[in-house]
Amino acid sequence: MILSEDYLQNLWDKTLAHVPSAANCAVVLEGSIAEGFGNSSSDIDFLLIADSDADLPTMPSLLFLDGRRVEVRTRSVRQVAEQFSALTSATHGDPGTIPEDLLNRCQRLLGSFPLRHPDLVAKVKGLMSFDDFRSTAREWWAHHARQSLRYALVLRELGQEAEAAAWTEAGLLQAVKSWAAGRGETYLEPKWLPMQLDRLGADPLSARFRVLASLDGSGLDPAAYVTAGALLSADLGVAGAASGSEHLTVARADGVTTWQTGDRVHVVRGRQDVFVLGDQAARAWRALVFGRPLGAVLSAAQASGAPQAGRLIAQFLRFGLVKAAWKGEGPIVPALPLAAPPGAVTPPPSAARPIVAVGGAAVGGAEAIDLVPVPARRFSAAGMTLVWSNVLVENAREDLVGALDREQWSVAQLSARRMLRFALRGVLSAYGVNPLPPDSEVVRALSLLPAEAHTEEMRAEARCLETLTIASVAEGGAAVKRLDRFVAQVRHATGAYSFPSSFDSSDGWRQTLELGYDWLRLGAHLDADLPIDEASDLLSSGGAQPHVATT
Amino acid sequence: MTSHTHPPSPTEDEAQSHHVDEREGRSMTDSLRILVTGAAGLVGAEVTARLAAAGHRVTALVHRNPALVRNDGTPLETGAVTCLSGDVTKPRLGLPEATYRELAAGGLDRIVHCAAITDFGLPDEIYQAVNVDGTAHVIELARAGGIPLVHVGTAYVCGERDGSIAETELDEGQRLANAYEDSKFRAETLVHKAQGDGVRAAIVRPSIVVGDERTGVVRDYKNIYVVLRLTTEGRVRSLPGQYEARLDLVPVDYVADVITEVTHRFEEAAGRTFHAVGAPLTLRDFSDVLAEYPPFQVPRFVPATSFDVARLPRRERSYHERVITLYESYFRRRMSFDDAHTAGFTTRRAPGNAQDFLRVLIDHCLESGYLGRSPADVTEAPDRPDAPGPGATSAGNGAGPAGSVRNGAGR
Repeated sequence: MILSEDYLQNLWDKTLAHVPSAANCAVVLEGSIAEGFGNSSSDIDFLLIADSDADLPTMPSLLFLDGRRVEVRTRSVRQVAEQFSALTSATHGDPGTIPEDLLNRCQRLLGSFPLRHPDLVAKVKGLMSFDDFRSTAREWWAHHARQSLRYALVLRELGQEAEAAAWTEAGLLQAVKSWAAGRGETYLEPKWLPMQLDRLGADPLSARFRVLASLDGSGLDPAAYVTAGALLSADLGVAGAASGSEHLTVARADGVTTWQTGDRVHVVRGRQDVFVLGDQAARAWRALVFGRPLGAVLSAAQASGAPQAGRLIAQFLRFGLVKAAWKGEGPIVPALPLAAPPGAVTPPPSAARPIVAVGGAAVGGAEAIDLVPVPARRFSAAGMTLVWSNVLVENAREDLVGALDREQWSVAQLSARRMLRFALRGVLSAYGVNPLPPDSEVVRALSLLPAEAHTEEMRAEARCLETLTIASVAEGGAAVKRLDRFVAQVRHATGAYSFPSSFDSSDGWRQTLELGYDWLRLGAHLDADLPIDEASDLLSSGGAQPHVATT
Repeated sequence: MTSHTHPPSPTEDEAQSHHVDEREGRSMTDSLRILVTGAAGLVGAEVTARLAAAGHRVTALVHRNPALVRNDGTPLETGAVTCLSGDVTKPRLGLPEATYRELAAGGLDRIVHCAAITDFGLPDEIYQAVNVDGTAHVIELARAGGIPLVHVGTAYVCGERDGSIAETELDEGQRLANAYEDSKFRAETLVHKAQGDGVRAAIVRPSIVVGDERTGVVRDYKNIYVVLRLTTEGRVRSLPGQYEARLDLVPVDYVADVITEVTHRFEEAAGRTFHAVGAPLTLRDFSDVLAEYPPFQVPRFVPATSFDVARLPRRERSYHERVITLYESYFRRRMSFDDAHTAGFTTRRAPGNAQDFLRVLIDHCLESGYLGRSPADVTEAPDRPDAPGPGATSAGNGAGPAGSVRNGAGR
């Protein structure tokens, strides 16, 4: 140890003054210094073991003594026994399921240096055989190495060679930690690996590892590095990650679903995040057949019109939209133990505006996999409302024209106002405003929209249209023209310029209904609020409007 | 991916049967003489295999196809079963008089009547001949020989009733959706009448018979599978239906187990009806599971009142008219089958989570290549709704809810 026992005993005496209830406990030093590593900046980690069944708190006490950070943990004998017992039980299953913290706690105690009541320390250490422990640690590291190396093979297959090399580096480190653990060097923290290998003495395997420890140091290109890494790992005892693509496939990521509105493909993650795919990204996505060899998936995606399918599929993997898998052995779950927890990456939300168009979320380009900046339920509710607002604009316009024919001026005026408000409901929905303010407030609510929406002109015109009076044929005709122009402007601004005019033709009406059903399908999946009552009426009205042309 | 293994071998089945019967305090060493009609069909072959494995002397009545193939594609050992060529649509089941007389005169301990036409959209007279007259002929044999009869019907004799359907109910004045259901209703009515006349019978009513509960393996991609393929490939985009409607998919191995157990323990089952059904699956559940598969198109379910065939694109309209119309009724029914009799009788646990089971079925379809073809392949595929996939052993243009119990003893 870099610190003498006398120094440590003295430090413990000073510590005891701050934790008086520890008087009768056994005390050990654990961690890097106890393992024979450490340096002047290393923490001092004391573990107190009470000879009792008590439920002692898990949170450590932190002290600063002699210029060092001192951490004091407490455990009762019962808690230590339970810890070892939990590890033994977990060892009988999949080693990958052993929690890192559990393994680490057990290792630190087994590798600790006794300072007080060595008999009690020996008794608790005797609760677990060190041979069993090192075998568990070896399997645990091997499991993680296997996952990292398999993931590297997946990324290489997808043409992501730099990232594949990075995961090979991680996998190699985990493989050599497994190899070292099998030889008794079980301390988990990877930063002391060079000293662990030194302590194990010269060995051709550790010499090969030192050469291949990093891509840069290896002198190999990334693809060759991945192959060399897989070979060395196998020699280090990590089986099941042989280089070659025949085992690689794709598998379902739980809670991920695909919903298409019109031609736009949306992928919903965990019923919460909506990713919208550009045309090529959608083609790559549609090629993901679970269980099919990754090479075949890639070829199919490229053949379907996604030349950059490898990059796109890799991005789907990173975002947790699909999983890579090893045929017959389930999903590949790469992780870096004692580092950031594994999990899906979430990109920054898309800046494309408006957020929602009639045909789906706004998308930044053919290869985009954009995160929609509103939660899934609100997105779906806004989309449904947008579609129905546009339908209702058409409805109100028909009412307006009908009222003008009959010179029903006040009915016409009300219909004109409805037409205006429905159009504005569409604008607000396009920017993700949901639920909407009451109809009487929609003109004022335009102030909610961001500056880049450039709504000044629209707001000014809306204010005029809201107070429009119709009392003659001429005024009526002018109002229809002005409202048509306004609706066209609004639809252009909200990406609804291609909205099928439901009254032009039966085909247009069918398209309208289909878009509505597409949105409803997503809404049903998310239990989103259905839009205005009129939408349900329109859906159940037999698909025909009273005024619909039959051309 | 889930790894797929084969269903239990006959030896395992046999061991299980012995176990079950020991628990019942009965000996299975008594070998029964059993006639299975429709033994070449999906359910019939599985029932035949189970009965033969349990040591019974099984006579398989087959029409055209003498080869008995199990659901997983393995042929039934010829030595285990005696095959009789016959035709249920004919008097005396189309058997030579002497053979028939021999069967009727004490040659049988049980009849398991699986033969039926389950395809949809066929002429009425075929349903009449196979399903109704065929059942009448089987009843005649049962009556003549005093032979206990296990009749395989369909849970969909409930027609278009909504709500909970009890096993004790048959004629509730319901509207039957098609000629298939009508024929199965009349066949079951015949069985009930025969029971009144002293014929001892038990009825098993499967719902929509699909692949194996654990592996999803299915011998024939028919009925619901055809709809699944047409919709997921985007060839049919809109279906007239309601998200609240319920489909009931039941694993073929479960159905065969229930029929086998009813046959074994006939004394307890006599006079009763057993629903052999799965966990109900709403169309919304169905839609949500389909959405988990990136290549799949998820159909729009459009309320029937809003659905207009004339507005479908030409190609979709053609699929709709040839296939989807046959199933329309199943996309709007909201019934659930009460299976209290079966739950209280059989030793096999009823199928569990319907969404998980649908995933198992779909995963197998992807593995076999029936589903998951690339869009290019779909475009190049012949414009036939029943074109089989690479792994398909056969395909029809639709089959009734009892699925593949259609078999060689019919037509």
